[in-house]
Amino acid sequence: MESKKKICLGIESTAHTFGVGVLDFEGNVYSLVNDIYTPKEGGLHPVLVKEHHLNNFMITIKNALSNANCSIKDIGLIAFSDSPGLGQVLKIGAIIARMLSQILKIPIIGVNHCIAHIEIGRLMCNIEDPLTLYVSGGNTIVSAFESARYQIFGETLDLSIGNMLDSFARDAGLAHPGGPKIEKLAQKSNNYLELPYVVKGMDLSFSGLYTAAKRLIESEQYGKNYNLSDVAYSVQETCFAMLTEVTERALAHTEKKEVLLTGGVAANKKLQKMIEYICKEHNARFEVVPLKYAGDNGVMIGWTGILRYKMEGGQEISDTFIKPKERMDQITVPWRD
Amino acid sequence: MKEKIIHKGAEANLYCGNWFDKKVIFKYRIPKKYRNEELDKTIRNIRTLNEARALIRVKNYGLNVPQVYEIDTKNSIIVMKYIEGEKLKNVLDRLANSRKEEIFKEIGRYIAILHMNGHIHGDITTSNIILTKNQKIFFIDFGLHEYSDSIEDKSVDLHLLKRILISTHGKDFNMCFNAFLTGYHQQYRKEATEENHQIIKNIDVIETRGRYVKKEERL
Repeated sequence: MESKKKICLGIESTAHTFGVGVLDFEGNVYSLVNDIYTPKEGGLHPVLVKEHHLNNFMITIKNALSNANCSIKDIGLIAFSDSPGLGQVLKIGAIIARMLSQILKIPIIGVNHCIAHIEIGRLMCNIEDPLTLYVSGGNTIVSAFESARYQIFGETLDLSIGNMLDSFARDAGLAHPGGPKIEKLAQKSNNYLELPYVVKGMDLSFSGLYTAAKRLIESEQYGKNYNLSDVAYSVQETCFAMLTEVTERALAHTEKKEVLLTGGVAANKKLQKMIEYICKEHNARFEVVPLKYAGDNGVMIGWTGILRYKMEGGQEISDTFIKPKERMDQITVPWRD
Repeated sequence: MKEKIIHKGAEANLYCGNWFDKKVIFKYRIPKKYRNEELDKTIRNIRTLNEARALIRVKNYGLNVPQVYEIDTKNSIIVMKYIEGEKLKNVLDRLANSRKEEIFKEIGRYIAILHMNGHIHGDITTSNIILTKNQKIFFIDFGLHEYSDSIEDKSVDLHLLKRILISTHGKDFNMCFNAFLTGYHQQYRKEATEENHQIIKNIDVIETRGRYVKKEERL
C-alpha cells in the first residue's frame, strides 16, 4: 500500500445496500464489497434495513479492507452517503463514518448519492460530459451538467422506475428483486397490450401505468386472452419507451455528445438497446456503467468524496448532517468548472 | 417536395422544401424503431393530428405560429410554412438585458392568451421559440399540446419553462422569468377571477411535490 493519505474508504448507506469501497486518489479501486438486504416478503421496511446494516457493517468493512490488502490505519479519508435516501439508513452510514473519522483522526466528507452515480460513471467509462439517465429503485432522473450544477432535465413525478417494476412484480407473485424476472418474462412475448404512456415535457409518470398493469393481472381475462409474459412485455415496452423518449428530448435540447446509463435498472438489456438506438440517431457516444459500479456501491461514494475533498477539504464533524431529501441540482460541483 | 434535412429533433426530422412554390418545412415524425410498432404508430399518429389541429386553432388568437398547409396522418407528416429565424435558446446570450426582458414579457403575454383560451402548449422551452429577423416571436412544436381549463395543467406548463430557464439559462433565470410573469399577469384577464395568481402560486406547490423535497418546505 502507498502512503497513508492517499487511500479513501467510501461508505454507501442510503437504502438496501450497505456498500464499502476502498480506492486511492487516482481512482484505482482496491476493493468493493456490498452487503444487500433482501426482504423475505414485501418491500423494504426502513427499520428492518437499518437493523440489518447495523448488524453487518463491521464484517463488511473488514472484508473490504482485507480484500484491499490494507489495514484500517492506511485509510486517509472517509466518505459517506449523506443524501438522499431513507433517513434511518443514512444515519447508520453517517454514524460509522463519524466514528471512524474521530478514532483515526482523518478527514470526513459527505456525498450526494445521485452525483456519486454520475461521477463513478464518468470515471469508469472515461467519459467527459455526458447526459445521464439514472434509473434505479429510488430514482429516475435525466441529468446533465449545465450552469455549474448537475441539472435535472427530467424526472419521475411519482414512482421511480425500479420501484414500479418491483411493485408490479410483487403483485404478480415474483420475488424481490423483480426487475430481472420481468425482463426474462418479457422476452417470451411480443403481444402488446395498451397501457398509459405519460410524458409531460421531459418529466415522467409511472403511477397510472402501474395501476393499469395491476388491473390487467387482476382481470378475468388474465390467463385466457393474455398471460403474465404479455403483461411484463407491455409494461417494459411502455415504460422504457417513455424513458427513451425523455432521454432523447434532453439529448436534443442539451446537444450533449455522450450518454451515460446508470443505476440498477441499467442492467436491463432491453433498455440498453433502446437508449443505444437513440444515441446512434444523434451521433452520441453511448456508455453503460459496468454492472458492478452501476448499482449502489461504496466506491462511487469514495470517488466523489475524493473529488470534493481535493477542492474543498474535509468537513467538520458538526457539519456532517444527513439530508434525506436533498436534490442533486441544489449541490455545487466545484470540480467540474 | 422534400429536399434536405435541416434539423433532427427528438421526435421528428425537419426537412426544407417546396410546396406549390412556397418555401415549407416538412415535419416528419419518424418511426422510432426502439419502441413497439403498435405503440409507436399510436403515438406518432396522435401527436401529428394534435399538433396540426393546435397550430390551426392557436393562430386564430393572434399568436405567431407556422401556417399549416397539409397533413399526412398516414406517414405522420405536417407541411407548414418555413419560419426564417433562430432558436431563442441560441440567441438569448447575445441579446441585451432590456431586450431579453421585452421578449419574455411578450412570451408571457402569448402564453397567457393560450391559457385563457384553454390551450396548454405542453413543451414551452427556449428551443421551441423562434426569433425571426424582424424580431417576431414564433411558437413551434405543439406535439404535446392539450386542451385544458384546469389550474393544475396550466401551472405544469409554466413549471416546465421555469425548469428549462434554470437549467439552460441559469444566470438570466430571475430576470427572464420575472419578465415572463409580468407579461403573463398583464394579459391574463378572466372576468375578475384571480386565476392567474392561483396558477403562479400552484407552481410552488408542484415544486414541493417533487421527489426529495424537505418536509418543512411541503405545502
